[in-house]
Amino acid sequence: MIENDEYEGRVRALGIMVVMVIFILLARVGYLQVMDGEYYANLADGNRIRIIPSMAPRGTFFDRNGVPLVMNRPGFTVSLLPLTAPVSEEVVWRLSQLLKVSVEDIHKKIDAHSGFDPIHIKQDVTPDIVSIIEEQKNLYPGVVIEVQPVRDYVLKQEAAHTFGYVSEISDAELEKRKDEGYKSGDIIGKFGLEKIYDKEIRGVNGGEQVEVDVTGKPVQVLGMKEPVPGADLYLTIDKNLQEAAEKAVDEQLAAINAHAAAAVVMNPQTGEVLAIVSRPAFDPNLFAHGISTKDWNAINTNPYHPMDNKAITGEYPPGSTFKIVTGTAALASGKVTPEEKIFDSGHHWIIPKGNADGEALGWLNFTEAMAHSDNVYFYEMGNRMGIDTLEHYARMFGLGKVTGIDLPYEAEGLVANREYKRKVYEDDWYLSETFDAAIGQGFNLVTPLQAAMVMGEIAANGKRYRPHLVNRIMSQDGVIIKEFEPELLSELDVPPYVIQLVQTGLHDVTKYGTAARTFQGFTVDIAGKTGTAENSQGRDHGWFVAYGPFNYPTIVVAVIVEQGGYGAQSAVPIGRRILEAAFGLNQPAPSGNSAPPAQKPQ
Amino acid sequence: MTKRIFRRMDFALIAAAAGIIIMSLVIIGSATHINTPSDERYWFVQRQGLFAVIDVALAVFLMNFDYKMLQGYGNKLYVFNLVMLLAVMLVGHSALGAQRWISLGPINIQPSEFSKLIMIISLAGILEERVGKLHTVHDLLPVAGYVGLPFLLVLKQPDLGTSLVFLAIFFGMIFVCGIRLRLLFGIFAAGIACLPILWHFLKDYQKMRIMVFMDPNVDPLGSGYHIIQSKIAIGSGMLFGKGLFEGTQSQLNFLPENHTDFIFAVVGEELGFVGAAVLLFLYLVLLWRGIQIARDASDIFGRLLATGITSMLAFHVLVNVGMTTGIMPVTGIPLPFMSYGVSSLTTNILAIAVLLNIHLRKQKLLF
Repeated sequence: MIENDEYEGRVRALGIMVVMVIFILLARVGYLQVMDGEYYANLADGNRIRIIPSMAPRGTFFDRNGVPLVMNRPGFTVSLLPLTAPVSEEVVWRLSQLLKVSVEDIHKKIDAHSGFDPIHIKQDVTPDIVSIIEEQKNLYPGVVIEVQPVRDYVLKQEAAHTFGYVSEISDAELEKRKDEGYKSGDIIGKFGLEKIYDKEIRGVNGGEQVEVDVTGKPVQVLGMKEPVPGADLYLTIDKNLQEAAEKAVDEQLAAINAHAAAAVVMNPQTGEVLAIVSRPAFDPNLFAHGISTKDWNAINTNPYHPMDNKAITGEYPPGSTFKIVTGTAALASGKVTPEEKIFDSGHHWIIPKGNADGEALGWLNFTEAMAHSDNVYFYEMGNRMGIDTLEHYARMFGLGKVTGIDLPYEAEGLVANREYKRKVYEDDWYLSETFDAAIGQGFNLVTPLQAAMVMGEIAANGKRYRPHLVNRIMSQDGVIIKEFEPELLSELDVPPYVIQLVQTGLHDVTKYGTAARTFQGFTVDIAGKTGTAENSQGRDHGWFVAYGPFNYPTIVVAVIVEQGGYGAQSAVPIGRRILEAAFGLNQPAPSGNSAPPAQKPQ
Repeated sequence: MTKRIFRRMDFALIAAAAGIIIMSLVIIGSATHINTPSDERYWFVQRQGLFAVIDVALAVFLMNFDYKMLQGYGNKLYVFNLVMLLAVMLVGHSALGAQRWISLGPINIQPSEFSKLIMIISLAGILEERVGKLHTVHDLLPVAGYVGLPFLLVLKQPDLGTSLVFLAIFFGMIFVCGIRLRLLFGIFAAGIACLPILWHFLKDYQKMRIMVFMDPNVDPLGSGYHIIQSKIAIGSGMLFGKGLFEGTQSQLNFLPENHTDFIFAVVGEELGFVGAAVLLFLYLVLLWRGIQIARDASDIFGRLLATGITSMLAFHVLVNVGMTTGIMPVTGIPLPFMSYGVSSLTTNILAIAVLLNIHLRKQKLLF
């Protein structure tokens, strides 16, 4: 012991300090581990656990005969796992070299990303890149290959408007549909059937829960949820007919130097849609993994709007195809008898309007007027009925409202009426406007699908079926989720003989009327109607509607060629080739565009 | 002789130190992944274990000498210390941004570790005659200058942590040396007043460490990363830990420096609060015995030695555990007997040997 130890107290004081130090540390450790332990345990899991989502393949689209039209192919996406530590520059550089993506772009993607899902660096890479990364895992820590099904539209741009396209969900869509289970980064149907049936065909995404080390190297798989593939759509579309229709439209457009057209082929007895063509079109494959700016600009700057499905959103004056409505209305309302003959002197006696080229066709009864598409006869029908009666029958045919087809963005069209004139032009209705309406000009607008529906109602003896594109939805394990039966929407409230007379008139169109020349030698008996829609913007639009076989119609077709001129020259040849395909006739198509029409149509 | 030595051994101190060393070997093994196949996985444990054995043998041998003879070597050791620290600056090589190492054959030694113990011995030598005579700044100046020279050399490496240890040793020793308390508090007040000036002398990374200490999230992937990951490791261990070799933060390398400066976080993660508390208890025993030995020392020189050693060890524990739990800034100070590093281990075992020697030669009442 130290003698005269005056500073022993200092040693004791130091001792107290030492004890305090230990207790402060103990308290701190206890606070972290006992009080906040749960919180830090979660953070530790967040460090090491990553979810690698595995996207469910969307359902396949089959045609009515079971031929696959829209499928999936495996696509490989190179992604980075979001890490606790910053991604090593070396890895970023190496990836940049391999994927030909600039270092800045990779950093931009990393910086823009939040959450723990993998950061997609490059989508749809080639298999050799995949094998390089798989073989040299140690050089690419934190890099994962995600196998994602990529939508494969095997017909490319054919039927593109019907199938639609998919791409990543937008912020606005996400906001709206969060409650339906959509998540950021999901692929969603944006157009066409892909959009309408998205919920049925998208399936349920799965994923893998993996433990990763600090560099992002997977250490072990903790859990796995298999994705559930989406249900398949069995369409009403007939692939062969669709392709034939596409070909017919393309060749005719090239031949007459027109750029836009639409065609609809349906079964009038069921409402099944067999083919829809809209030109110009787009390749939906371009959207499957983010469309390039170049491709998008090409679509966007095309003056003929390739993204519009003209068959259902294009609204055109029906032209002379509307005479089907006017004729039915006039007979049904008793304003004319089938036998009554009206004299065409070249122009109507009240208002000097006549046929397109001013020719006079003399005395004509109902079927003759229909066959020759005589304007003066139908002006007189309009004159006798008045616009209100005409409107009544037009609406009875289902015009002026959507047909209810299972495609998005369908247009309503327009039925000429006083109300509309008053609302839009703040003006009274004039007789000359009734004349225009009676021959399908003026305020009347229809979509090609509506034109097909009107023709279909005549073909099906007045019955109107909801047009539809899907026969059934079936899950992967063969369970039918939904089956679509023909749905009768309405029936024309007219005596049967009226419809028969209209049918006869339309039959005569193809025998000695406006479409006769093109249908020379056609072995199936059909009915048809040409039309030419006046277009203030340029050349007139050419129309053709038809159905066949005449005695039991199973096919109705509507064709419009934008700025194609007379329907008989532009649309009828397309119609003929579609009908040939529909009836399996393999005659060579007549060169209808070079030969003069049998008659000047109107 | 051996029987007497045996009877005079401080078993509590030995047991605490031995307990910590054993724990250290296990945790270093875990931190260096001896559970995963690799050619060199036993390297750290083997090396640390080997040095522990050598150091203990050396310590036992040194028991034969009386610690009092160290007093005669005080100034020679002091000069040796300066030479060694200068040598580091001239021929040393750097790691982690600081020049701290000298290669001696297969061994890299870290002179600043040894310099702490040498500092204690030298300082005890010159303080012994100054007991009760430190009343004025003038009295203190020679002592301050004596410590200041090696202090500055260490600071220049730069090794802020070790230089702070020098300060802790210095204050601990002048405190029991009977420095007038008014003078001591005056120094503290002046020191605090000078902090803003000192700030300018800090290197950028050191400033960043201080800022990160205030708020680790100013730089979560840079300087703040160590603290954040260490706190996550310790906190996620919860009461009983994730189990040895099962700590995800440590095993998956989220925790950096897990076998050296951040080894306490591995203890916290894998052994939980229970394990951490056991370890802290062992330190408490160790430090408490150090204080007792200082109190009971047979002479002032012994007391000063024991005080210096205890101050050094206590400061290490405070700063290291404080750093890993986020209540102290990051400074590269190892946890005594736990962190991997043979220089540190050797220094600490020799320090314990000195404590045991003082205990052995305390007043011979029993004879």
